[in-house]
Amino acid sequence: MLTAFDDTAHAYRRRIYSFARYLLSNREEAEDVTQEVLLRLWRHQDGVEEERLGSWLLRVTRNACYDLLRRRRADATQPGMAASLGEEEAHELVSGEPGPQSLAETADFRRRLLAALGELGEPYKSIVILREVEGLSHREVGDALGIPEVTVRVQLHRARKKLRERLREAEP
Amino acid sequence: MNRLDDTLSCGDALDLLEPYVDGELAPAEAASLRSHVEGCPACARELALAERIQRELRSLPQLDCPPEIVERVRRQGAEVVPFRPRLTTRLPLRLAAAAALLALALGGGAFFVRHQQQEAKAAEVARATREARFALAYLGKVSRRTSLDVRDEVIVRRVALPVTRSISRSIGLSLGSSDPEKP
Repeated sequence: MLTAFDDTAHAYRRRIYSFARYLLSNREEAEDVTQEVLLRLWRHQDGVEEERLGSWLLRVTRNACYDLLRRRRADATQPGMAASLGEEEAHELVSGEPGPQSLAETADFRRRLLAALGELGEPYKSIVILREVEGLSHREVGDALGIPEVTVRVQLHRARKKLRERLREAEP
Repeated sequence: MNRLDDTLSCGDALDLLEPYVDGELAPAEAASLRSHVEGCPACARELALAERIQRELRSLPQLDCPPEIVERVRRQGAEVVPFRPRLTTRLPLRLAAAAALLALALGGGAFFVRHQQQEAKAAEVARATREARFALAYLGKVSRRTSLDVRDEVIVRRVALPVTRSISRSIGLSLGSSDPEKP
């Protein structure tokens, strides 16, 4: 029989990991962050209201990712976010449902899109990942990031505009 | 410039692309943008790119981690502190609070009995105490098995107050004013 922790952890682990994975572009680090976040859930669940649990977990995930990125930046030997997208990583991320374009062209577009996403600043990157990739509503994104819904809408537009500009610059 | 006419500038059109892609423009604004884009290949390319970016972002895979991570966390967490599920954690505290209420009532009853030199109704007090213990144990068992929360007021209303009233009646003391639901 599953315990309450198992139920909660299994319900949220994919969302935590996927958010961390797109923020960090690194599988091992995303697993570490997921483990760290679930450990915090174990320790602090008492202090979190049931209805705020999802947004609390995403906020903790984002903070953990940014702590890790700060440490990564401090360590000059580590590659940057965009550069850390290795061949295996890139293959897994770009091999989703193909669009109407050819597979090779789609894969190339996604590679450039992910690189542009990796270069986005905050809160743009988190907003794009949570809204467009993870499919959260504007209100859920706002709850997770602690910003009003209307701000989420405005910043999402700015974020996609930045992606558009970067992709246009990077067009082959 | 009036955005609702057909003379939308390219700058204005580009500003409207993202809200248009999200379906957030008013029908008149959307029609104006479409009209501009039909006659402007540069803005048409930008709109196609904006739509493709959104489409590709939404088709990116949602990634999953190895399920062993949950087991690893459970092992690691149990070494540090046992997991206390939200719904049952507060129960011992509540039981302790209810027990404290009972102790207070019993202690007060005993004090009253001594000082009024009334005949001690020890058997009734003992019976009420036993009933209270059974009731608290039952509540705890039900709560643990069902993982359902037991609210403070339920314990107070269903266990503490009836027992204190019963004891008080047996020793001739009125507790009517101590009921939190009564003015």
